[in-house]
Amino acid sequence: MTFTIATTLEDALAAMAAGARPVAGGSDLVVAARHGKAALPASIVAIDRLGDLARVTGTDDGVRIGALATHATLMLHPLIVDSYPGLADACALVGSPATRNVGTLGGNVMNSSPAMDTGAPLLALGARVELRTVDSTRVVPLAELWTGPGRNVAATDELCTAILVPAPTAAGGTRSSSAYVRLEYRRAMEIAVVGAGASITLAADGTVESLAIALTAVAPTIISVTGLDAFVGKPLDAAALTAVGEIASEQSSPISDLRAGDSYRRHCVGVMARRAAEAAARRAAGEIIGIPVNRAFGIGAAR
Amino acid sequence: MTAATAPRFVRADGPDKVTGSGRYTADLTLTGMLAAKFRYAEIAHARIIRLDVSAARAMPGVFAVLTADDVPDVRFGPFVQDRTLFARDVVRYEGEVVAAVAAVNATVAQQAVDAIVVEYEPLPPITDLEAALAGDSLLVHEGWAAYGAGDPVVRDRNDASFSSITKGDVDAGFAEADHVVSSRYVADGCHAAPIEPRAVLAQWEGNKVTIWTSTQVPFDARAGVCETLEMPASRVRIIVPHLGGGFGGKCGFHYEAHIAALAKAAKRPVRLVFSRREEFFAPDRRREGMIIDVQTGVRSDGTITARKAWIAIDNGAYTTDAGFFSQLAAMHVSGPYKIPNVHIDSHLVYTNLQPSGSVRAPTAPQACWALESHTDEVAKAVGMDPVAFRKLNAVDTGDIGPSGQTYGEIGVQRCIDEATALVDYGQPLPDDEAIGVAIGWWPSFSVPSGAYLKIDGDGSAQIITGAQECGTGAVMTLRQLAADELGMNAEDFELVYQDTSVAPYDMGATGSQTLFNNGRAVVAAAGQVAEQLRSLAAEFLEAAPADIVLADGHAHVAGSPTSTVSIAELAGIAAGGELLIGHGSGAPPAAPALVGSSCVGDLGMAAFVAPQFSCHAVRVRLDRDTGVVRVMEVGTAHDSGTIINEMGALGQVEGGVMMGIGQALTEGAQYDAEGHQRNTGLLEYKLQTCADSPVIRTTFVQIVTPNAGPRGAKGLAEAPNVATAAAISNAIAKLVGQPVRQLPMTAERVWKAMQS
Ligand SMILES: Cc1cc2nc3c(=O)[nH]c(=O)nc-3n(C[C@H](O)[C@H](O)[C@H](O)COP(=O)(O)OP(=O)(O)OC[C@H]3O[C@@H](n4cnc5c(N)ncnc54)[C@H](O)[C@@H]3O)c2cc1C
Repeated sequence: MTFTIATTLEDALAAMAAGARPVAGGSDLVVAARHGKAALPASIVAIDRLGDLARVTGTDDGVRIGALATHATLMLHPLIVDSYPGLADACALVGSPATRNVGTLGGNVMNSSPAMDTGAPLLALGARVELRTVDSTRVVPLAELWTGPGRNVAATDELCTAILVPAPTAAGGTRSSSAYVRLEYRRAMEIAVVGAGASITLAADGTVESLAIALTAVAPTIISVTGLDAFVGKPLDAAALTAVGEIASEQSSPISDLRAGDSYRRHCVGVMARRAAEAAARRAAGEIIGIPVNRAFGIGAAR
Repeated sequence: MTAATAPRFVRADGPDKVTGSGRYTADLTLTGMLAAKFRYAEIAHARIIRLDVSAARAMPGVFAVLTADDVPDVRFGPFVQDRTLFARDVVRYEGEVVAAVAAVNATVAQQAVDAIVVEYEPLPPITDLEAALAGDSLLVHEGWAAYGAGDPVVRDRNDASFSSITKGDVDAGFAEADHVVSSRYVADGCHAAPIEPRAVLAQWEGNKVTIWTSTQVPFDARAGVCETLEMPASRVRIIVPHLGGGFGGKCGFHYEAHIAALAKAAKRPVRLVFSRREEFFAPDRRREGMIIDVQTGVRSDGTITARKAWIAIDNGAYTTDAGFFSQLAAMHVSGPYKIPNVHIDSHLVYTNLQPSGSVRAPTAPQACWALESHTDEVAKAVGMDPVAFRKLNAVDTGDIGPSGQTYGEIGVQRCIDEATALVDYGQPLPDDEAIGVAIGWWPSFSVPSGAYLKIDGDGSAQIITGAQECGTGAVMTLRQLAADELGMNAEDFELVYQDTSVAPYDMGATGSQTLFNNGRAVVAAAGQVAEQLRSLAAEFLEAAPADIVLADGHAHVAGSPTSTVSIAELAGIAAGGELLIGHGSGAPPAAPALVGSSCVGDLGMAAFVAPQFSCHAVRVRLDRDTGVVRVMEVGTAHDSGTIINEMGALGQVEGGVMMGIGQALTEGAQYDAEGHQRNTGLLEYKLQTCADSPVIRTTFVQIVTPNAGPRGAKGLAEAPNVATAAAISNAIAKLVGQPVRQLPMTAERVWKAMQS
């Protein structure tokens, strides 16, 4: 087994070209190996010292989040909290303070678990990942990244350097926001039984201009809910929210396992989708709903 | 002393544990040490057709491979001798040890384990309690009529211990009732789940073996080694480094003999360190699953006329200390109520699941959950408020309990008042919130125990005790008892403990008994030293020994403030003559008499010595869309007699409540049809976390109790774990409209109950 510590991006990319797997926080890779889920790769390159990859930068068309930005950073980052609160909701739910301090966004996305928390808000927000090799750079929409549990389209020598999230449009007085909600049986060290992320833009008159919802842990990958165009041009009232939940339930194909039965999961993903859409819409309308939404209303809210 | 004025002090082992300088068993290494690994059955029920360890033995780096053929052919077990160190002929649960390996490191040991060839003829796994009790069921132990067993144990087919309580005439009682309420409740098994997975390290010198082990009961562990390896106690020394939690999971004798035998065969020290999965599925210590059918007759005015119950308890494949569970569960399903007519039948049922054993307040959280949920159903049937119903029917000072015991001064009624007041019971609540209330009880265990106490020439003091600290702080509190006896500070005492070759016997961190019994021993030992100090001081200060008062680290002459000498100075004098050494044990309190009841299979649990009472009142919130329940606020009141260390006592209550919330909502062992446990990790077996903890307020109803522990103290380690799940259940039932009849009351089960 070889283990190298990259101090420059070039080192890291060269190591990967030579067959090394990257490790960032190690909270998926090492823990999976310890649990016998997947053996440690024969060659590993640590990328956690590449400080440039931990930056969060506002750009003309959105935000560029370095792959090494941790959940702890993102859940409190003003740019994320203000403009992409759905991502902050998800980061704030990851594991425990210790997990959030070591776990990175790049690791979460590239680990490609269908139960990952940042996937649904990022997908709903239309995010893309930047993948680099020694001699190439490409940008892949998240909608095309994941191919199955723990699988994605990145080649073995491609390093995720950033996650790019487009800015919500503010043209013509529209207002946008996002939210992420998950079902949890306890308030820390939890894994999503089901979850939903929503991103919404409201027209000046308060009707829906666009709505995107993605679901956690109900299919082999994070999935987008389709057919939400039907809500465009209408207010997202109680009846519409109920319909959102029903559509989400219908489109999910959950399994039964130790955490929940399939029918319960199917029911709950509808509840989560409804709540995520509601929270995103209320935020877009100007209401301050604290991060994470899970502690603000619904499950386990403080009063 | 009231709780408010009781001293609060920080535990002696705290800094070591918090800073990481403390040593746990898995931290120890010895020169030439080998790693141990076990080959487990991995099948719930099968006959061994072939067991071939030759390939494993031949592997380089392997020093010893042991099977049943390599150790004395001894059957052991505290109630029924149904157990052997290694499986013989038949395996009866998936975690049964078939063979053990010692090798240069854990990787090689595992490879050797994998190289062991075992062929099985699978037998049908017996996992259903009712089917196991049916007359035509296959037997878990075919030939067990020939096993040794204690006299009172009633054994019948798969019934490992039958027990009944009968008082009055239940049929007549039901005939007097205006309403009869019948309920069935089912509790899944669950786990102690200590954070430290167990570890054992053994080293031989000549014909003596020293075993460092993470046990709650060092003397029990020693007895187990002596019995199974056929050695006298004088050649076996058990040392317990810091223990990373136990909660009962590390009570009993487990793997010490396996590792000692490996070390002997390998002629090297051998260390076993469990993985988290092993900690979950292998030890013969799991909280027992249970089925409880209970029926209560009540008059329209709310008085209970009769109770009948049938209880089946999952014993698992072997009877560890679970022998007394049938009687204890019967007591908890009777409950601390005035019931004139009682008949309870309780069965401890062999299955092909992991053996059950004492986990914190064995049988009580489940039985109390069932009984108290049922009690709310009974109150509802007569249209009474459940708290008023309990006040009417619960026992009080001078009353006779369901097993025929007459109580002295007890605080159960006051506990109900205090706990409900702490959460403002009766206040208007939002429509997704409710408060549930439950009462519980628990015996104190009266057993022999011993300690020494010495003060060295420089004035430093030591308590040398057989008591075992499992995290409760009970051993830490012994220092306070000694300090009060000798007029010194708790911090002045160093503890020497957890070493069977150094200290006298103690039963260990089990049965809430440490302070109750070892406290008595320490007070007695300190009393002897106090006597010595008084006579030395009398001589030194030229006064009568009876006039000497020990306080503030000095000996004073009563009434003459200037006439004083420090204890350290007296110790210096003693060092040149008769040394300051005390020893103590004291007579254990006697068991109370029972009148008017009869018990089949009586294992001493129908009479509660110094009974402890509690009431928990819990406010929960229900997410009606998902069935997720959150505990918002808990009020507890405990009658555990005198509280000696309030900080430690509150820690016990808060920990017990958190464990109770886990049992109520998220903790349950899940099995497949073949008897394999499926959630053997901390991700899938969900303990409560700090983030889940509600506000917990506690009032101690302090009654200086005669025939109890030091200063009228009762036990307190297990009592706080009794009533929480029950109170949560009653709150959920109010919100759902009916109880959730299976434990844990997971979100999915709550949601399903809402659909029906
Ligand atoms: C106790 C605990 C609780 C957890 N709770 C949650 C939770 O609530 N929600 C949740 O979503 N997750 C949770 N996780 C999983 C994990 O913490 C997160 O997925 C985390 O974001 C992973 O980041 P990492 O940097 O630690 O990844 P690593 O373990 O370092 O890497 C994960 C995978 O991604 C690859 N990788 C990492 N970085 C890159 C990169 N830049 N480019 C290409 N490939 C890369 C690695 O090769 C590896 O295959 C939990 C984990 C633990 C141990």
